[in-house]
Amino acid sequence: MTATYQASAAPSPGAVKVAGPVEHWCRDLVSCLQSTFATVLAHAGHDPLEVLGAHWEFRYKPGDVRTEEFYYPCAVAGDLAASLAPHYPVSSSWHQPAGAGTEDPVAAMDEIIAVLDEDHLVIAAVDNYYLPFRPAFGDVHAAHLIVVFGVDLELGLIYVSDAMPPAFRGSIPVADFVRAWSSGNPADVQDVFFSDARIDRRFMTVKIEEPFPVLDRAMLRTVLASNLAAFRAGSGLDWTGLDGLGRFLAALLDACASGDGRLLAETYPFGWGMQAQASLHAELLRRFGTEPGQPATCLREAARLVEATANAWTGLRMTAAHGLADPAACARDLTRHAAALRHRYDLALASLDEAVELM
Amino acid sequence: MQLTSVPVDRARFTYVPMPIGGHFNNRAISEAAETDSGRFNVWGNSFPAGHLPKPSSRIEVAGVPFDFPAPTAAGDNIRCAGQVITLPPGRYDWLHLLTAAERRSEDTIALHFTHGDVDFEALRVSDFWAAPARFGEQLAYVTGDMHYPHHVQSGLSALMWCQRVPVTRGQPLTGIRLPRNIAIHVFALTLQSAVVQAPGPEPREARS
Repeated sequence: MTATYQASAAPSPGAVKVAGPVEHWCRDLVSCLQSTFATVLAHAGHDPLEVLGAHWEFRYKPGDVRTEEFYYPCAVAGDLAASLAPHYPVSSSWHQPAGAGTEDPVAAMDEIIAVLDEDHLVIAAVDNYYLPFRPAFGDVHAAHLIVVFGVDLELGLIYVSDAMPPAFRGSIPVADFVRAWSSGNPADVQDVFFSDARIDRRFMTVKIEEPFPVLDRAMLRTVLASNLAAFRAGSGLDWTGLDGLGRFLAALLDACASGDGRLLAETYPFGWGMQAQASLHAELLRRFGTEPGQPATCLREAARLVEATANAWTGLRMTAAHGLADPAACARDLTRHAAALRHRYDLALASLDEAVELM
Repeated sequence: MQLTSVPVDRARFTYVPMPIGGHFNNRAISEAAETDSGRFNVWGNSFPAGHLPKPSSRIEVAGVPFDFPAPTAAGDNIRCAGQVITLPPGRYDWLHLLTAAERRSEDTIALHFTHGDVDFEALRVSDFWAAPARFGEQLAYVTGDMHYPHHVQSGLSALMWCQRVPVTRGQPLTGIRLPRNIAIHVFALTLQSAVVQAPGPEPREARS
């Protein structure tokens, strides 16, 4: 259900609004990271599932995890889009108006307005505490992403879209947005996973270039082979592939057994990106597995096994999240979930091997 | 190929709603006046009691009778942590569970039979948070609100599912061990017998 916080009045002559529909796109295991990029991709006429579901990887960057719902371990530094969708000509850049946090907040929106004026959507970082349509409003500080698709300074309204439940699309007062966008997002005991990470008026632009590839059978085979190769390759500074997964799980269990909760705390935000990507990859494979001309049986089975990998992240993430108060006490359960997760990866990759051979 | 459907006498099956209140270890349902009392997930969200059946009521979901949980001092559901539930020994075809999960979850439930045999079967539960039935479960209840520790959030649904687990071994089932998975919650359990059996003793609470 999409809520409308404030009925949109007729925009004033000076309003800036991106043309075309701004659609919600969401899945149960994704975060605002995938849902905002999906909205941008759909607005540009591309299929979010194909773009965000093609790549599947494991990547952990020691020391890099931030307490933000939209954290993802970027293979391309600072470029979330290129890291999420390396098989497509997409890239993203973070921007922060000069003097963030000190200058006139409305003036600080000039850069956002300039992007909108070029008919491009903006992805803005916000603190849910100040957003009237978020459940955390006035209650919990948490770093989140929303899509901005228009500004009407004369009416004092900004047009935003948020596909995460409870979904919202409509206008809110610019003052509310600016508070959320300018927040220091202080540490909040109610949300230790997504608070304590400054927002500081960050926003993101996404560049989508042409030619944009069509994900046909040949491209899917190339993508899957590339994903598989990366899973089997050794890892370096970034802990990647099965080697990286093993290193991450070993480090997590070691820390947990010794009562160190830091990696435990990271597992919830970090694992979300891994879980979300696996779930989208599974959905994409399932879709291909229902299309004629594909090795349907193998693709559908691989899809289910990748999905099971995504689901296995739940056990690890939730056990870690609930175990923060007493890491050692959850060590045994966490060990079991780590083993189950690793096993799921092995089964999924073996199934993908078979699918690629038949493609 | 011409197939023939063979009608069966549904009366041959019986259902045994199990009392599981002795295992409750989590409070997932709260009144609007005390939303802070619920702790279904790590955020302290809970199901609004006003949107669910009355405690202790006999309910039916997808034709399966359940005893909706009556809250105890320990809570109103089992947050899965490997609890063992002793069952009245008997031949059962299905376990039916009224369940919910903090995110989409798959884990293993252990079925213990006479003579020491154990089978492991999957327990699959979709997310409770405004999500689709990813495993094809039957939606049991969908609430119009979600309870947060400090407020009632309208327009956000909490979902409770009716999921089933097969019992394929043709031996008397004596007990089950729930998954060691903190994300999965069980509110009610009903056994579906393989065939009508002679009336036995009333099922009693049992722990091991």
